Amino acid sequence: MKAIKIYVAALGLLSLGACKKDFLDTKQVTAVTDQNFYKTPKDAFTALVGCYDGLQVVWSEGIALPVAAEVMSDNTFGATGNSDGFGYQMIDEFDKSRSPSDQNLYNRNWVLYYRALFRCNTLLGKLDQIEWGSDIQLRKTYESEARFLRAYLLFDMVRLWGNIPLLTAPSTDNLPQSNPDEVYKVIAGDLKFAAENLPQVAYPAQAVANHGRVTRYAAESLIGRVFLYYTGYYAKADLVGLVSKTEALAYLEDVVAKGGYGLIENFANLWPAASLTSYAGEDNKETIFAIKYTYTSDYQGNTDGNHWMVMMGMREQAIYPYGNGWGAETVNPKLWNVYLPTDTRRVGSIISIADENLPFTNQKGQREYTGYYVKKYSPMIGKDGKPLPEAYGNTSFQIGQFQDYVSIRYADVLLMAAELGSGNAQSYFDAVRQRAYKTAFTPLAVSQDNIIKERRLEFAFEGIRYYDLLRQGIDKAAQEIAETTTVLNGGVSAEKKISAANIIATKGLQQIPYTQITLSSGTLKQNAGW
Amino acid sequence: MNGMKKNSMIKRESIFLLMFISLFVFSESLFAQQHQISGKVTTANGLPIPGAVVKVKGKAGGTGTSNEGAYVINAQAGDILQVSSIGFVSKEITVGQSSTINISLAEENQGLNEVVVVGYGVQQKKLVTGATVQVKGETLQKQSTTNALQGLQGQSPGVQISSTSGQPGENIKVTIRGLGTIGNASPLYVVDGVLTGDITYLNSSDIESIDVLKDAASAAIYGSQAANGVVLVTTRQGKRGQARQITFDAYAGIQNVAKKVALLNASQYAAIMSEAAVNGGKQPLFTNDQIKAFGEGTNWMNQMFVNNALTQNYALGASGASETSVYSLGLSYTGQEGIVGGKDLSNYQRYSFKINSEHNFYKDIIKIGQHLTYTDIKNNGISVGNQYNNSLRGAFSASPFLKMYDENGNFFDNSKSTWNNAEANPYAAMVYNSQNRSNSQRLLGDIYMVIEPIKNLKFRTSLGMDYSAGESRSYTPIYTLSVYTYNLVNKASQSMNKGKSLIWDNLLSYKFTLNNDHTFEAMVGSSAYRADGSNIFGTNTNLIYDSFDYAWLSNATGKTVAGITIGGGPNDPDRRLSYFGRLNYNYKEKYLLNATFRADGSSRFGPANRWGYFPSVSAGWVATNESFMQGQKDWLDFLKVRASWGQVGSQNIAAFQYLAPIKLNNTNYIFGPDEGVLTPGGYQSRISNPAVKWETSEQANIGFDANFLQGQFSLNFDWYNKTTKDWLIAAPILATAGADAPFINGGKVKNKGIELALTYRNKLGDFNYSVGVNGAYNKNKVEDIPTTDGIIHGGENELFNNALEFYRAQTGFPIGYFWGLKTAGIFQNEAEVQNYRSASGKVIQPTAAPGDVKYADINGDGVIDNLDRGMIGNPNPNYTFGITLSGDYKGFDFSIVASGVAGNDLVQSYRNPSSQFGNYTTRILDRWHGEGTSNTIPRVTEDNRNWSNFSDLYIQKGDFLRISNVTVGYDLGKVFKKSYLKQVRLYAAALNVYTFTKYDGMDPEIGYGTQGFASGIDLGYYPRPRTFMIGANLKF
Repeated sequence: MKAIKIYVAALGLLSLGACKKDFLDTKQVTAVTDQNFYKTPKDAFTALVGCYDGLQVVWSEGIALPVAAEVMSDNTFGATGNSDGFGYQMIDEFDKSRSPSDQNLYNRNWVLYYRALFRCNTLLGKLDQIEWGSDIQLRKTYESEARFLRAYLLFDMVRLWGNIPLLTAPSTDNLPQSNPDEVYKVIAGDLKFAAENLPQVAYPAQAVANHGRVTRYAAESLIGRVFLYYTGYYAKADLVGLVSKTEALAYLEDVVAKGGYGLIENFANLWPAASLTSYAGEDNKETIFAIKYTYTSDYQGNTDGNHWMVMMGMREQAIYPYGNGWGAETVNPKLWNVYLPTDTRRVGSIISIADENLPFTNQKGQREYTGYYVKKYSPMIGKDGKPLPEAYGNTSFQIGQFQDYVSIRYADVLLMAAELGSGNAQSYFDAVRQRAYKTAFTPLAVSQDNIIKERRLEFAFEGIRYYDLLRQGIDKAAQEIAETTTVLNGGVSAEKKISAANIIATKGLQQIPYTQITLSSGTLKQNAGW
Repeated sequence: MNGMKKNSMIKRESIFLLMFISLFVFSESLFAQQHQISGKVTTANGLPIPGAVVKVKGKAGGTGTSNEGAYVINAQAGDILQVSSIGFVSKEITVGQSSTINISLAEENQGLNEVVVVGYGVQQKKLVTGATVQVKGETLQKQSTTNALQGLQGQSPGVQISSTSGQPGENIKVTIRGLGTIGNASPLYVVDGVLTGDITYLNSSDIESIDVLKDAASAAIYGSQAANGVVLVTTRQGKRGQARQITFDAYAGIQNVAKKVALLNASQYAAIMSEAAVNGGKQPLFTNDQIKAFGEGTNWMNQMFVNNALTQNYALGASGASETSVYSLGLSYTGQEGIVGGKDLSNYQRYSFKINSEHNFYKDIIKIGQHLTYTDIKNNGISVGNQYNNSLRGAFSASPFLKMYDENGNFFDNSKSTWNNAEANPYAAMVYNSQNRSNSQRLLGDIYMVIEPIKNLKFRTSLGMDYSAGESRSYTPIYTLSVYTYNLVNKASQSMNKGKSLIWDNLLSYKFTLNNDHTFEAMVGSSAYRADGSNIFGTNTNLIYDSFDYAWLSNATGKTVAGITIGGGPNDPDRRLSYFGRLNYNYKEKYLLNATFRADGSSRFGPANRWGYFPSVSAGWVATNESFMQGQKDWLDFLKVRASWGQVGSQNIAAFQYLAPIKLNNTNYIFGPDEGVLTPGGYQSRISNPAVKWETSEQANIGFDANFLQGQFSLNFDWYNKTTKDWLIAAPILATAGADAPFINGGKVKNKGIELALTYRNKLGDFNYSVGVNGAYNKNKVEDIPTTDGIIHGGENELFNNALEFYRAQTGFPIGYFWGLKTAGIFQNEAEVQNYRSASGKVIQPTAAPGDVKYADINGDGVIDNLDRGMIGNPNPNYTFGITLSGDYKGFDFSIVASGVAGNDLVQSYRNPSSQFGNYTTRILDRWHGEGTSNTIPRVTEDNRNWSNFSDLYIQKGDFLRISNVTVGYDLGKVFKKSYLKQVRLYAAALNVYTFTKYDGMDPEIGYGTQGFASGIDLGYYPRPRTFMIGANLKF
């Protein structure tokens, strides 16, 4: 009996400890981890594409900067649906009381910008551990692209919010907002690095399959834009001591001289909705940098589309070739009126319900109806009435739009160079105007004032006008934007008022998301006026 | 007759007693002269006891008594007959010369010798020192619910059972002693020793009992799995010595919606729309004559619900025993049609087969047995999820102008309509989007062996398995219902998954008594668990045939990237290794002590934090076993005071959270000219936290159990204090961190409460009756949230389009409390608007007009914003309670079960404020429409300005008392007087008979939450049906 007892006890103990030591070790096979990634140039490229993807999604939710910038400018009103919240009015009128509880309008954008920034910072921090092999240029190219993307993100953020925490390496710390100069130092440093380290390959020599990637000329052009904005808005002589006016101009002249870019013959052909079959196509010779989109967005996690274009569509009514949308950014009639009728950019940029005889009937659903909609980024439908993305099998007109956001055009480079005092200022200026007026072209002397006016006509709805206003000083900008006029809200006439005082009080900056302020327990400070 | 039914119903419990008894059977059987003894086993007043076990002491096997209480057994003079039956005091009688022995058994004080299931074993109820509650399978079966868990409602204090949807087959939310975490708060389910997460596959007829381990001391033997309590399910098994028995249980009934929400008819709707236009400064939309002429219009509620949806259940059972084996088989079918859309759109069918058996070898030294349940579930359903995936929701706001059918009898296409062409026929949308079928199979069971070489030393080893496989398929046809609700290309989706978990348990236990006074029972064990699985799914467009039957991927010809979704992968592997032990001690069944310890290692944590340790200790004092209490026996039968303390854990996070993953899917960019041609990228998607470890729940419990007046009255009381800390949460991090938050340990919530259960049973002549009342009070309070702002924010865009956050978990408040603006009435006139000023004289709501809602300026800064938002509701009930009444009189029986909650709030959102044309419930007829007309419901406006902010306008009280079951039955067994018919009970039952509530939605029992820790959110809730059924219980 005792033997049995011992035997059972032994059996029991044996089976209690019968498992192997590595029983608890498991391996994830559907994802790699940072311990086995960032090793090869291929990993680096994958991570670099991740950075591009990061930039691609920053406006997939929340409020897209090109939309916000136009609403804030004197080009368009906030508008949207007549029963929608008043968030877009709050942006348009710089007036928190229009929608006091809308304190998180930009939260998703804030999150997505920092996520994209994190991807760039992570890759930049891992470059040293990658086995680059013999290709010396490869590391420089990837590093330049990642640093350009970081600079691009930071420039958006610092323009929109003014006061942002700056990260040049990943950190989970509760960081306070930085002095904007510190941000611009990183932007300028990154862009200079990219401008000096990317290979010199002119547009015609660039591989078509590489279109969309950052080039030396994109970096040089962005330096021009950053220089003009920083020195204007902050009233400084140079870009944080890193780029002088002469240097900025030299970068732009390099683009003109060596970039191989040019103007598309007809202005309308730059924009699908304005040109239809004669559209010049994406990545055309005028495109220096674009955020590229395609139709593969879905609700299962793919975010590749232009999710903000739907905002500009006519409110819930499609009329060929214009698709329906949410009716934001109704165009200020003032803008329509500053174009000369002979300026091809007027109908190239703006949908006029009356002039195009469009049977638009949904005034009751539209807030701040003006009779004009944005054409450059209007969603489109086919002749069969189906939204364009459906031709590609994407059934959502909201997220399936695929028109690229052309961020920097060659026309912009010409006008910036002219503004910075290029010896060819007049011819650059004329080139842009000749394309616009065609046979009706009459010369106009180049001047700072004329350039700014021309830029408004040339770049309407491209997210540029507002920052052109701000860089003339907040008072000037406020004076230009402030307005009291009449619009139709749900078909009923209503007063629309944008007060200069609000713009000045906010310095033209936007609200820091409430959620981020509370998450930081007050380390982040709200911008003045909000 | 009456006693017969009762005993046959409870005798199943005798298995455990039998198992114990059989342990004593270890002596050599003697070869001797045997003869037949026969007789009758009766109660003290002569009623037969069927199913009583009669056996010869010291011998294996035995027999059960017949319907008339008769038995026949072989024995010889001098043998001792042991006679036992649950509910009666066992008796031993020495066989004399007579071959007839009639035996009468005295009724035992109710419950004291009952056996309850504890982790890895059973225990006599009177010796239990933790807080557990047992519900018998019969009780569950009597509730006639498709889901056995729903049958627990009202029967188990401290266990809140709520439906997440009334759709057949949907999940039941089980919350034991309050919400302890913002993560997964579901309890652990253990079916015959096999750990699982879901028991919807079980038919109530296969369940012997459900035991809920509520306090940490009871649950701690399950360590890392037990933080949210443990639900132990024991399936039916044959009983040693039992007569063969075949049972057949059936019911069939019809279901209807108990209460529909009243929406505006066409005339009322037109009047309100017109009024909204006028309030916005426009001309009226309609004249009074036009308004009248609209009449009723379409009543969408009537369109969505079907009448007399069928529910049915058939269960065939067989059980019995031979000298060396016991067995139980079951075959059942359950079918429940949905009341929304009917069976084509919402249906549930379950086929299940169960076989349990146990065989004894070598004179009971070795027992080998198995449990096995196979279930095949077929179901299809409408969407019951968030605001974008909720088929019923559309019906609340579809206007009554909208037609159901066009002149050709097809669903009406509203896209060309002049009135709101953005709205779609909600019924048609439901039909088009609910073309789906799912089918899943589940095999759960174990095989075990018990070796007992010497008395009370047992080694048990078991290998359990939980295998599941599922497939589902859906089809979306081409349709156009409105300018936004259309589908231009047909589509088929298919998915398949399978999963398997294996669990290998080894237990060694020994029970011994020293000096007849000190009884020890020690157990040590180990458990190894592994789970693996995989899934594959795909969607494609352009089907060859436009029909659900042909909606298979092979018939889809789509070639566009955007139309194709495919994927597949393994489930994250899950491994666990556990060692545990328990020591029970009692001194003369007077002083009780129990200690357990468990160590768990889990693959879900990093190598340094894999092991967690979970101790518990509990003690009891049976006061009535003290000599000084003997004098009180005439009124106090039993009094036990218990106290316990323990720690349990939770490992409810996905695998690999301790690593930093590089996300490679869905990370693309398009370079070059070809749309749709993507270059894949990758990025680190989450911050890693190698230090992540177990969530721990610590709980103290003090309680007592008392029986009075010879078992007429019983009372159970518990007080508990449960603290769950080191939550496993992905706490929100600052956006500047740039990636998803890691799972961290942090956060703490306290649930404090009391539970009380009272039962009174007595008889008046032949009328036996019992009354049970139970209730629980729980207070839930978050004590710490590990973020800088101390808040876990709820989601946005969940209550309606563009809705802001409206629920939170925050330090100092209950989990998931509703966060919004407090209203302070309605502005009656312009003067009130102007006079509503802050201390500094600022007009607080300058844009308000008379009829608009007045928000309380909580912080007094003259502006209504987030700083004025606070707790305006609590979704967690303070009280849950249940009432049961039952009685029987000569073959008649009846029972009533009611249950309810109190002290909670519900959020109701049927209408999207971003649409001006949505229909309203008739509550809007009480709106403000002129000074003095209302101070609670604001005026109607086209921009819905009073509803675009979440405020207490959305909140209603959630208290309810539901009479959930009324059953009346009659046993015809006596009428037929056939020896082979033990029971022929016919009954009629009504489910969800009536609900007392002030909530104006269709059903106040809303377990649904938009996500995670949210609950009590009515976005258009699929209500639980009211059912009338007839049924039969037959025993042969």
